[in-house]
Amino acid sequence: MPGMNSGLDPSDPTIVAAFRSALLHQGGIALAIVVFLLLLWATARTWRTAAPAAPGAPAAREVPARRLLRIGFGLIWILDGLLQAQPKMAAGLPSLVIAPTAASSPAWVQHLVNWGGTIWSYHPIQAGAASVWIQIGIGAWLLVAVRGPWSRLAGAASVSWGLIVWVFGEAFGGIFTQGLSFLSGAPGAVLIYVVAGALIAMPETAWRSPRLGRLLLGGIGLFFIGMAVLQAWPGRGFWQGGKNGSLAGMIGQMASTAQPHYLHLIVSGAESFSAAHGWGVNLLAVIVLAALGVLFLSGRRSLIRYAVWFGVFFCLADWLLVQDLGFLGGVGTDPNSMIPMILLFGAGYLALAPEKAEAGAAGAEDAAGTEGAAGTDGISGSRWRWAPGPPRLGALRDRLASASAQSLAITSAIVVLLIGAAPMAAAAANRTADPIIAEAISGDSALIDSPAPDFTLTDQNSHAVTMASLHGKVILLTFLDPVCTTDCPIIGAEFKEAGVLLGSADPDVELVAIAANPVYYSIADDRAFDTEAGLTTVPNWRYLTGSLPQLEKLWNQYGVDVENLPAGAMAAHNDIAIVISKDGQIIQELSADPGPATTSTQSSYSVLLADDARQALAGS
Amino acid sequence: MKRQLWFAAAAISLAGLTACASAAAKVGTALVPLPTTPLATSLVTAQGGWATMVMGGSAASEDNFWQLFVRPAGTSTWSLVTPPGVADNGGLVTAGSATSLLVGFRPSQDLAFSPLASSGDAGKKWATGLLNASLASVPDALSIGAGGQELAVTSNGTVDLGSASGSWSTLTTLKALAASAPGRECGLQDVTAVSFWSDGSYVVAGSCARPGVAGVFRDTDGTWEAAGPELPAAYAGRRVQVLRLSGTAALLQAGPDLLATWLNGTQWSQPQVLAGTAQASGFGPGDATAWVLLGGGRAATIINGSSQGWTELPRVPAGTAVLAAPGPGSVARAHALPAGGNRPPGPPGSWEALAASGSRLTVWTLEGASWIHGEVINVPIQYGSSS
Repeated sequence: MPGMNSGLDPSDPTIVAAFRSALLHQGGIALAIVVFLLLLWATARTWRTAAPAAPGAPAAREVPARRLLRIGFGLIWILDGLLQAQPKMAAGLPSLVIAPTAASSPAWVQHLVNWGGTIWSYHPIQAGAASVWIQIGIGAWLLVAVRGPWSRLAGAASVSWGLIVWVFGEAFGGIFTQGLSFLSGAPGAVLIYVVAGALIAMPETAWRSPRLGRLLLGGIGLFFIGMAVLQAWPGRGFWQGGKNGSLAGMIGQMASTAQPHYLHLIVSGAESFSAAHGWGVNLLAVIVLAALGVLFLSGRRSLIRYAVWFGVFFCLADWLLVQDLGFLGGVGTDPNSMIPMILLFGAGYLALAPEKAEAGAAGAEDAAGTEGAAGTDGISGSRWRWAPGPPRLGALRDRLASASAQSLAITSAIVVLLIGAAPMAAAAANRTADPIIAEAISGDSALIDSPAPDFTLTDQNSHAVTMASLHGKVILLTFLDPVCTTDCPIIGAEFKEAGVLLGSADPDVELVAIAANPVYYSIADDRAFDTEAGLTTVPNWRYLTGSLPQLEKLWNQYGVDVENLPAGAMAAHNDIAIVISKDGQIIQELSADPGPATTSTQSSYSVLLADDARQALAGS
Repeated sequence: MKRQLWFAAAAISLAGLTACASAAAKVGTALVPLPTTPLATSLVTAQGGWATMVMGGSAASEDNFWQLFVRPAGTSTWSLVTPPGVADNGGLVTAGSATSLLVGFRPSQDLAFSPLASSGDAGKKWATGLLNASLASVPDALSIGAGGQELAVTSNGTVDLGSASGSWSTLTTLKALAASAPGRECGLQDVTAVSFWSDGSYVVAGSCARPGVAGVFRDTDGTWEAAGPELPAAYAGRRVQVLRLSGTAALLQAGPDLLATWLNGTQWSQPQVLAGTAQASGFGPGDATAWVLLGGGRAATIINGSSQGWTELPRVPAGTAVLAAPGPGSVARAHALPAGGNRPPGPPGSWEALAASGSRLTVWTLEGASWIHGEVINVPIQYGSSS
């Protein structure tokens, strides 16, 4: 998965600082908008001309099952959002979380996941910050939007974002891998979020009969039986004891992730126990899963009550002993699948008997058609309302003044979500990487103002080139070894891409390299390099060479150390890029070391070079 | 009815989950690929004996550097003469002529073509050249003719012809050669070696899909004709790979056996058979001798025209990467042969085993039935310089 890894250290201080800065920046914008809305609302309420609406009928209460899902998953989304704010997330999520998850999936899954991971690794700051705000926004929206269309819409948002996370972040929850097991989190925690979101998005009438609960529990029951079959399936290694057994291996993998020491001890203990009693542990897991499935399928509330308590105990035990709580390692993105599963079958159980508790309230809701006295603003109410008419300032003010505090909270949650989603969408549409990646690798560039040493050299087409002949154009200059095996072809490709990015400004920029090898520096060598790096069709590319004394003098003048190393090593030289202004002044020098040379770092360097050239053009 | 629906749904779900859990493996029916010929080798020219081998670390290919050593004619000591300026992690390919040694760098990492270096003074000075393609990973991917012409096999099976001026042109391609009459007859799969024969003709060798056929082809006025040795009937059912090809000799791998044969005039000699698979191989002076390392410390040599056939040497020291045949002017050790001992075939002098351990080269000399510890060269490998 070549695009998945930016190659950066997840703890890279430049990236971490930029991530924090982006979070603070976007958080500040969100706060400012919320405060502005609050002030606007308070002002409108103070100056409104219309009398406040009379208190309506008492609001119908939300059914407990739906409330459990909404509040439970709202809190989980907020927790997930906060986990996304961990410092390593921006640079580390694709390589530390997504790639290992997708590694054992089929090629087509890896291809798809790589596409999403590439977007992230190209724009780590935007993607990291977006994930934080989108998830906190969805969580807050679920919490504050109690009922009505906006609450259902929050469920739909949860489904949409959940599917994105499930596909690209969890590689379909590993359902296409060989080691699929409920114990380790299959079919993916976020798929349970999606199911919960879909349930929240359902019309409230669906919650008024026990049919929804029966269907939900029946589905969960089938799922548990399926998982029991998979767990029991011969040849999948779950019956095998020892460290090589699938079960012990799975737990060992969890134990090896970064986590608090006490948790490591607990999970390691579970691993040792599974290794010693692999057959017995798996038998227990199969029986429990099958029993839960049968009980949930039975449709008898009395049996299901036991299954719920039994399931809660089983899931909590698995959450601690196998899933290591899921989120305490520095790159944990969620608390894994057991808590969401508990919420789901808990809601199913509660939904079995909604009639007695809610029938009266539901009738009240139907009669009122609103939710409480404040539900006249079209947001917190239980039905969509649209009242077109000429936009009058006074009417707008009165409408704003009549909004409930809940409406304001829903709006604020959506603002938070959009604060994250907008830059994410822009980043996804941008095919070039963020220059912050190159800056993280190369460090700060040096700003200089000194004349560029003159030279008379020959380009790859055997034409003489002098520094004076290049005056009037901005020069991006570097030193390349034509037979280099590592950095130079990459730097050449980055220069080429920078030329493409400069677009219409390209004719005003010369992309120039000077040969940097004391043995191989002929024009033929330069031409072979150009072919290798795809530079033969770049009109403003010049690869210059000369006699060895000429080159040595230039290397010295530009501070480039070129050295022949013995015993089959390539010629050593430092990788630099120099920006020369139109009037022949060196104005900037930056490290051109391509670092890990991943697709994202290469793209990032190209953007950085193009940006520097644009600045030089603008400053000339 | 309701219960039946539940059971049907359950059955479908279980079937789906089961399908997820099981994976079907596809069994390929393609031709089993033949083993690649190791690059490590030695050769002898008028300038002296040459040996190429990989040294350095084993953790990553970027820390494995290929080295070239020379034992100049008339001396008994080896020197490190690896040509400078290029990272050679991809391997070195050598070819000798009466006046010079040509070295080609196999590309590694992001390098896509093969720089060349040639020396006429036993590696003291190097002139540079260039093959604007990737040399194939076989020890006979380069050859020099008497007139200074050069042949090169590239990674895609193209055979390029180089002039003395340094320019290259395509002589033939794998596709064209495979489509020729002898190519079709052999079912040519790849190109593994090039050489010039004494009459100056170009010779190309490869592996045949058709069992029992040795794929050696000679260019005669622009037409390719089959020029390989005929193999004994016992090999009629075995695929044959040309491991090595020189002006007058060929080493073939036919199933589990190695076959050595020489071209005497226009006729190939009766192939001499040795059981085993070559891990390294080379030729001695004038291609009159050949050697192979077989793994497990086994080594064997053979001389053209000898009635003895292959002679197994005493087990070579650990780490032996190549053998070096006694060359012109080699200093023969007076006590090399004990009374009544069997002397390995070849010209006067002693066979040497060059053993690598990390950056340390140890030269062992065969004296009687023992390998005697000799010269040690510490190679200044630049670990990490290619990563």
